[in-house]
Amino acid sequence: MDKGLLAYLIIPLFAAVVIPFAARNRPRLADVLANVTLLAGLANLAWLALRPSMIAGGFADIPGDGFSLLLVAAIYLVALCVTFFSAWFIEEGLPNRQAYYSLILVSVAAMTGVVTTSDFFTLYVFVEVLAVTSFALITTDESAGGIEGALKYFFLTFPASALIIVGLSILMMTLGSLSYENLRIFMSSDIPSGPVTFAAALMLLGFVIKSGVVPFHAWTPDAYQGAYAPVSAHLAGIVTKISGVYAIVKIATLLRFFDGRATAVSEMLMFLGLLSIVVGALAALKQTSFKRMLAFSSISQVGYIVLAAGLGTPLAIMGAVFHLFNHATFKTVLFLNSASLEKAAGTTDMDKLGGMEHPMPWTSWTSVIALLSTAGVPPLSGFWSKLLIILALWESGLRTYAVVALLFSIVTLAYFMIMQRKVFFGRKSAAAESASEVSAPLLAPAVLMSAVIVAVGLLFPYFYTYVRVVAERIIL
Amino acid sequence: MNLILIPIVLPLAAALALLLISEKTKYLKELLASAAALVSLAAAANIFMLPAQEFTMPWLTESISFTLRADSLSAFLLLAVSLFSAAISVYSFSLADKGPSKWFFFNLLMTQAFAAGAALADNMVAMLFFWEGLLVFLYTFIALSQPNKAAKRTAMKAFLINGVTDLCLLVGITITGYIAGTMSMSEIAQNKLTLDYGWAVFGYVLLMIGAVSKAGAFPFHTWIPDAATDSSAPFMAYVPAAIDKLLGIYFLARASIYLYALNGTMSLVLMTLGAVTILVAVMMAFVQKDYKRLLSYHAVSQTGYMILGIGTLNPIGIAGGLFHMINHATYKSCLFMTAGSVERQAGTGDLSKLGGLFRAMPLTGIAFIIAAAAISGIAPLNGFFSKELVYKGTLDTGWTVFFIAAELGSFLTLASFLKLGHSVYFGKRHESMKDVKEAPFSMLLPMAALAAICVAFGFGAELPLNNFISPALAALGVEHGHMAGFHADKLYFISLIVILAAVVNHMLGLAAGGGKADKASDHIHYAPVLKETYELADRRAFDIYEQSMDKAVPFFSKLLFRVDRFFDWAIDTLPSGVAGFLGGTASRFHNGSYPLYMALTLAGAVVYILLAAANGGLK
Amino acid sequence: MNDYRLILFLLAALFSVWAVMARRLLTSAIMLALVSVTVSLIFFDYGAPWAGVFELSVCAGLITVLFVGAVSLIRAADEQNPENRSRFHALPLVLAAFAIASWYYLPAFFAELSAWARPGTGGGTIGLALWDMRRPDLLGQILMLAAGVFVIKSVFPRRNEK
Repeated sequence: MDKGLLAYLIIPLFAAVVIPFAARNRPRLADVLANVTLLAGLANLAWLALRPSMIAGGFADIPGDGFSLLLVAAIYLVALCVTFFSAWFIEEGLPNRQAYYSLILVSVAAMTGVVTTSDFFTLYVFVEVLAVTSFALITTDESAGGIEGALKYFFLTFPASALIIVGLSILMMTLGSLSYENLRIFMSSDIPSGPVTFAAALMLLGFVIKSGVVPFHAWTPDAYQGAYAPVSAHLAGIVTKISGVYAIVKIATLLRFFDGRATAVSEMLMFLGLLSIVVGALAALKQTSFKRMLAFSSISQVGYIVLAAGLGTPLAIMGAVFHLFNHATFKTVLFLNSASLEKAAGTTDMDKLGGMEHPMPWTSWTSVIALLSTAGVPPLSGFWSKLLIILALWESGLRTYAVVALLFSIVTLAYFMIMQRKVFFGRKSAAAESASEVSAPLLAPAVLMSAVIVAVGLLFPYFYTYVRVVAERIIL
Repeated sequence: MNLILIPIVLPLAAALALLLISEKTKYLKELLASAAALVSLAAAANIFMLPAQEFTMPWLTESISFTLRADSLSAFLLLAVSLFSAAISVYSFSLADKGPSKWFFFNLLMTQAFAAGAALADNMVAMLFFWEGLLVFLYTFIALSQPNKAAKRTAMKAFLINGVTDLCLLVGITITGYIAGTMSMSEIAQNKLTLDYGWAVFGYVLLMIGAVSKAGAFPFHTWIPDAATDSSAPFMAYVPAAIDKLLGIYFLARASIYLYALNGTMSLVLMTLGAVTILVAVMMAFVQKDYKRLLSYHAVSQTGYMILGIGTLNPIGIAGGLFHMINHATYKSCLFMTAGSVERQAGTGDLSKLGGLFRAMPLTGIAFIIAAAAISGIAPLNGFFSKELVYKGTLDTGWTVFFIAAELGSFLTLASFLKLGHSVYFGKRHESMKDVKEAPFSMLLPMAALAAICVAFGFGAELPLNNFISPALAALGVEHGHMAGFHADKLYFISLIVILAAVVNHMLGLAAGGGKADKASDHIHYAPVLKETYELADRRAFDIYEQSMDKAVPFFSKLLFRVDRFFDWAIDTLPSGVAGFLGGTASRFHNGSYPLYMALTLAGAVVYILLAAANGGLK
Repeated sequence: MNDYRLILFLLAALFSVWAVMARRLLTSAIMLALVSVTVSLIFFDYGAPWAGVFELSVCAGLITVLFVGAVSLIRAADEQNPENRSRFHALPLVLAAFAIASWYYLPAFFAELSAWARPGTGGGTIGLALWDMRRPDLLGQILMLAAGVFVIKSVFPRRNEK
């Protein structure tokens, strides 16, 4: 466990415990406490990583492996957006406002645990905590869709937990330890790796299911669509990425795919990633619900990360880490915008919307930025990460994979363009006539995230330096 | 300013100035155009007198400079171009039937400027530049000459035929320049190219196609008869009769003698092309029933003599070809001018409606008789001497068959002009033509001048041969002996026999046609075999352009359309269809059924585990 | 000793089949908890005390609580539209077939695995296991408990309001 980052776990946990007591009679205090906790964490992180001296030194002094720090920052950033958004989004009468914020903070603590731990069992425990909190968060507004989504999420990811446990036990039997370090040392030795790889493969499968990779993606659309609106941003933006994708990237580096020690697993992972890209994008083309389309888009984007992780070369890992971060930014914007739409127009059904650009210009244009970044249009951040991934594929001689990845980047643009035309552009619908732009606080998170997207895209050289440091540290 | 630039720049400037003048002004445009043409003529005459001049300007790159060079051939050609420009601009002074006069003179001067440039250019790229410029004004000239659709259609036909052959010329010039390593014609001439090198044959043939198609030889001639009916007489007198012939034959001579050293095979090809052109076109001319159309086929036919002459590759033949070129331009321009006069005064060019106009238009009639006698090769007019040289050159090669073909062409030419002259100027005058009067002075003057040249070049054939043709041959680098003078040798007698035969034929025709002069060709027109051939020709079965426009172009355009549709479908419909199908399948599959999802997840997991176990070392 | 283990295994199998076959979701949830209890007993028996502890606290305790909460949320809707359960009756047959197959193949698989086994670092008392080696997990445990509390706090007020 990375001791340096432990505070980022403990403080939200502490705040989560404090909130129900402190805000017992003043529900708004819960908003303030949650936001302040996360904002303070974020400010601290910024100081930690973005000090001028740190940037000038090429991030050489970054604590830990850098990967954890980056992801903790992403977690805090997304969670702050979500809580800030929620503070103005939640209806006044919601009886469990305090519990809602506590759950978000617990999930932040759990995610921090996930990304800072260095032991598989601890990882598993935190991932399970995350599953529990997500389950409760999805059902926040107690809609039928939310409950259905929550149950699907729980039951369909249950086999994942089982597989992880089985994998853990086999790993324990064969390796005698569950720490990352031992696995890394083992993989870089010459000992035949059979059962250890098998155990890792089982764990990988579990995390693949948890990340919603095709064909284990079935829970994703229902959960994201049914979830309480800000929660779907939280869930899609960061939670499933941390509880699944992060672990995949981690295991991929530990198994040293670039060494060719676990070729079969690597190939299977890449195949699943590609399948995810293809199926997710194709399914997204035909969706009529905004949120459901975003869910499929999420599946497709996760496919890129899994594909890169499966490849496992340093460049690919850089691309995967970078895309993980980027995905958190643009998917948060899009889901928050879908929540704004829901609030302003009362629906996210794309057939009923249209011409929303006129009443909601900010929402429309932040969506454009996010979707262009998702589709990988330069100079936005998504372009660079996809470029890294496709370059890595091309360099490794996997031309077909590279071409398909590139091609479906275009399909991504296509379905988002369809979405943008149906929802924001085009003729004004009845919904657009009566709708008006949501209040500034609700826009602020989306604008902030859009700014991050643009900034990271434009300041890519700095970010690249950082990501390279990360890749060097977690691979060596 | 260099003197050599005046014949190019002056008409160009005058043409642009014309555009500023209102269409309503009277005579101003005509005066400006005529003045520009006459001054250019004077400048051209001056250039011709002076020794070879050169003008060079750096142009595209180091190797392609803008070089104009007035050696004696070019200067001679420039003089001819300027002469005909001046004649036509004077002739058109009061001719109404020529389209908007502003545009007519604009096109005329532009054509003059570009033709002068093409004649003077020494660099092949510069020549091509002027040559292609002519193409543009060829189109506008025809298209604006009459305000109907037929003119546009014919303009497009002329444009496409010449455009394709100009493209050939472009490729030919590129190949030639590539082989020679320079684009300058005078530099190439110092070390002539031979046809031994593989690409050289290709390059020469392309140059030849460009040249003979400009001259209007078979099979690139088909736009000329159409233009005769769809365009104006001055245009016909100027472009197809004069400028195009001059430039085409000029460049054919340049390419065949100056740039390349040809072999016997290529000579045979050229001679065959010439003979075929003579016969095919004259056969068509013979049966025409329209004044200008008949003349236009002769314009094609006479090209054959020039090509034949140059194709002989001996000095006599080449001299004959060049001499015939200038002679033809003279009398054919004159003939078209008479056609324009008759049309203007009588209101029609249809032979069956005309007749007995000699009395009403005696000067026009005399000019016609002189020019017709000249084109038919009656001694001692200029056409006789040039044809004689061509015949002699042909006989010198030993290919008597071409000589016979040329004589046959001569026979048919005379026969058709007997028919034409008889039906227009003699016989009975039609009722409606009682009040026809002589053409105005401005039209008679150039006609008379050209007819006078015909006579002068005939009786004094030594003059042009010594002053124009000899220096031109010298410029081409051809050694030659003395060729002027009237010889009462066998060729003269053969020409007498041809004249007699033509007259007899005319009599026969008249007898067969019931005394009607315009039907004097019917006994040949409706002879067996020929009748069917003529019918096919009437249906334009031999017109490559019409055939390709009717059959090949629709086919290819349809094919290309299909190909385009296919690509459109492959790019547009197919992906969206496939994506729609796959996307639809994917979204139908996600129907929310929990057991289905669970089954899918478990099945996927089982496959994954089996694969991991099989490949991961658990064997 | 072997009989004891055999009984535990059989019980685990029995409870899990029951959990799937049960008509009432509440019964299923309880059976699932019983499976976890049995499995945790097996863990203890095999000398993996901390695994047993987690199995007992997390799976048998927390998850059961969650399930019961969830079941009570949806029960009203569920009972109105009884599920068609006939296809589940084939499950015992499938399980029987699977059991027979694994009787033949699984021992070989485990034999192979044990050939790879290395001395585990587990063992000792529960307290030792928890405090000396797995301190971060303890943090996870705390988080899990907090999460459980908040989930209950979040889910049940709504239930009561209705």
